Amino acid sequence: MLFARGLTRVARSGYSRSRWILCYNGHQLLRHTNHFPAPIHSSEQVLGCRVIYSWVSSALSGIGKQAHRQSSSVEEQLDPFSLVADELSILANRLRSMVVAEVPKLASAAEYFFKMGVEGKRFRPTVLLLMATALNLPMSRLPPDATVHTSSVELRTRQQCVAEITEMIHVASLLHDDVLDDADTRRGIGSLNFVMGNKLAVLAGDFLLSRACVALASLKNTEVVSLLATVVEHLVTGETMQMSTTSDQRCSMEYYMQKTYYKTASLISNSCKAIALLAGQTTEVSIMAFEYGKNLGLAYQLIDDVLDFTGTSTSLGKGSLSDIRHGIITAPILFAMEEFPELRAVVDQGFDNPVNVDLALEYLGRSRGIQRTRDLARKHANLASAAIDSLPRNDDKDVQRSRRALVELTQRVITRTK
Amino acid sequence: MLFTRGLSRISRTCYCRRQWAFSSLRNNEQQLIQHHNQFLSPSHSSEEVWHFRGIHSLVSSALSGAGQQAPDQSSSVIEEQLDPFSLVADEMSILANNLRSMVVAKVPKLATAAEYFFKMGVEGKRFRPMVLLLMATALNVPISIKPAAATVDTLPTELRSRHQCLAEITEMIHVASLCHDDVLDDADTRRGIGSLNFVMGNKIAVLAGDFLLSRACLALASLRNTEVVTLMATAVQHLVNGETMQMTTSVDQRYNMEYYMQKTYYKTASLISNSCKAIALLAGQSAEVSILAYEYGKNLGLAYQLIDDILDFTGTSTSLGKGSLSDIHHGIITAPILFAMEEFPELRAVVDRGFDNPANVDLALEYDPFSAPYV
Repeated sequence: MLFARGLTRVARSGYSRSRWILCYNGHQLLRHTNHFPAPIHSSEQVLGCRVIYSWVSSALSGIGKQAHRQSSSVEEQLDPFSLVADELSILANRLRSMVVAEVPKLASAAEYFFKMGVEGKRFRPTVLLLMATALNLPMSRLPPDATVHTSSVELRTRQQCVAEITEMIHVASLLHDDVLDDADTRRGIGSLNFVMGNKLAVLAGDFLLSRACVALASLKNTEVVSLLATVVEHLVTGETMQMSTTSDQRCSMEYYMQKTYYKTASLISNSCKAIALLAGQTTEVSIMAFEYGKNLGLAYQLIDDVLDFTGTSTSLGKGSLSDIRHGIITAPILFAMEEFPELRAVVDQGFDNPVNVDLALEYLGRSRGIQRTRDLARKHANLASAAIDSLPRNDDKDVQRSRRALVELTQRVITRTK
Repeated sequence: MLFTRGLSRISRTCYCRRQWAFSSLRNNEQQLIQHHNQFLSPSHSSEEVWHFRGIHSLVSSALSGAGQQAPDQSSSVIEEQLDPFSLVADEMSILANNLRSMVVAKVPKLATAAEYFFKMGVEGKRFRPMVLLLMATALNVPISIKPAAATVDTLPTELRSRHQCLAEITEMIHVASLCHDDVLDDADTRRGIGSLNFVMGNKIAVLAGDFLLSRACLALASLRNTEVVTLMATAVQHLVNGETMQMTTSVDQRYNMEYYMQKTYYKTASLISNSCKAIALLAGQSAEVSILAYEYGKNLGLAYQLIDDILDFTGTSTSLGKGSLSDIHHGIITAPILFAMEEFPELRAVVDRGFDNPANVDLALEYDPFSAPYV
């Protein structure tokens, strides 16, 4: 892929790159990028900007969609993921090696850290790191003195810590959601493995949660502790909502959206808010950050639901259909039920019988369920964009670029095909 | 048992007890001693010395079941049995109600699971909250000594609520760990009823534990004290460390007393020690005093677990083998066996074979030096 080649070009100047990570600070960033090839303009700052842009764009041109907020023809393709890819690798590796080093037996849990999301990238930490830059309070153009420099590096470290905590909580919840009841373990191949695997899943999840608690404590900010504790509560609530629905609840769009908020959006929204609080932003701005995260998360999940039916094609039934086969009723089916009430009878029968799956797909095909889900996703994506637009003005180039990247992400989330 | 008789004698003086409970809410050490005098005949003139002895006899009577005399008891004839639990009984029922309201969940299935161990009759011994509430009173800064411009929460009632909150947090963390431990140990029963995983399934038990932990963290954040958050986060981490140590021990580690004591610290003592220290911090005590509170909790917890290990072998009788023997049947090697292995290295071979075969259990018990006269 093109951006991999772009990255290796960067990687060759290894020293510069690691300096860039450590000093994630507007001025330093621009100064170091001079090490990269092909300068064109005399002004150092303009040069730095152009080099970054050309680096980013050559890294990504494969995807082909213009960000809808582009005002200058000089600004080419903006790939949100590459902006923070290096920082993310460091975070992911740090997390993974912590798990493996401290408790080798739990190493299999570490594999979850490399599970990919949107377009095969690490979605949540990307959002958080971009949000961190997007919310930087305006800096003066004076050369960085010692205190300003340290505190902005320290701030970045704290925000990276939030990204790490978020990943730990996310993976812990995946592990705990996978815990099997005895009935399930007995059906497993080689029941001993299942039982042991079950215990390690519980233990690994606990390990991650406890490390998250310690990391949270180290931030010395009780508001952030509240936000992320709330996330854990919501994740558990969402999962139990999914486990124990009545027939009416299963067919309720409202219940479904609430469950989706708890299971998917709450993590992103509350951690975006935490990022804003750590940055010292006002309550209004924190709420904007929260709204961005919430709407992005909802849009993400709605498209996920569509993709489960359509897969990479646009036609129905080519997706993995794993939701419906597990009896999980998602937005497309819920919309279809509004148009075809008789579909409800099929849903109530359950989907153990594959005939019912086919029947449901037929109704879905005749309905506008898929399209309405996409429309709803778009509505949330637009709300997320609007939240970024409401952020207080900041003329810093990095800040603006990150904000554009966040907006670009809202588009990526709804146009992706996997 | 002796101290329950003492308890009923005390409870007959209801008025006194309520007065005591109320004045403890006012956090005045002198009031405490005055009312305490109404219960038991005072023996010493100096109130401070007496109060100290009160605490010592408190600790010793709490542990007297095992039969060991605390070295400091010299006036035990006049001071009757002091039941620690009765000193805080009123507050404990407030705590119990608070806890029940703190674990309410929206989803019915989760609500049932979360409140499972907080229902009346299933709250367990509530050992930790009792220790913490007593510690809270024990660490009250005397009014005369308090600086004019108090830097700590000035209202005694507010401080007491914060202390109660910490006791609730500790209990929630403890119950959360019990829920997970029972899944990890495949336990069928807990506190005399079916374990949560047995009754509702592994997954909901795990999720309920996570839920309780998150509620504990929310309550912790509400105390707005980052040092206390750090202490309790450390305790949570230690609980997991202890469980991990127990599940992933190598053969050599199993037979190592040091490893065992470290694991015991993590699994049992750390929560009490760190929460005692947190009590001290909330009370605005100095670092030295906080460390003393920590040491009390740590040593109490270790003592508790060591006796627990013995009781698993002896049960309520003093002879071997009448206990539930659940540790040894789970292959968990505890202090008595570890000591026995020091005296009889051949016991190690028996332990290596494992205890699925009951004959091995009998053999191990034979080696155990902690037979009748000692326990």
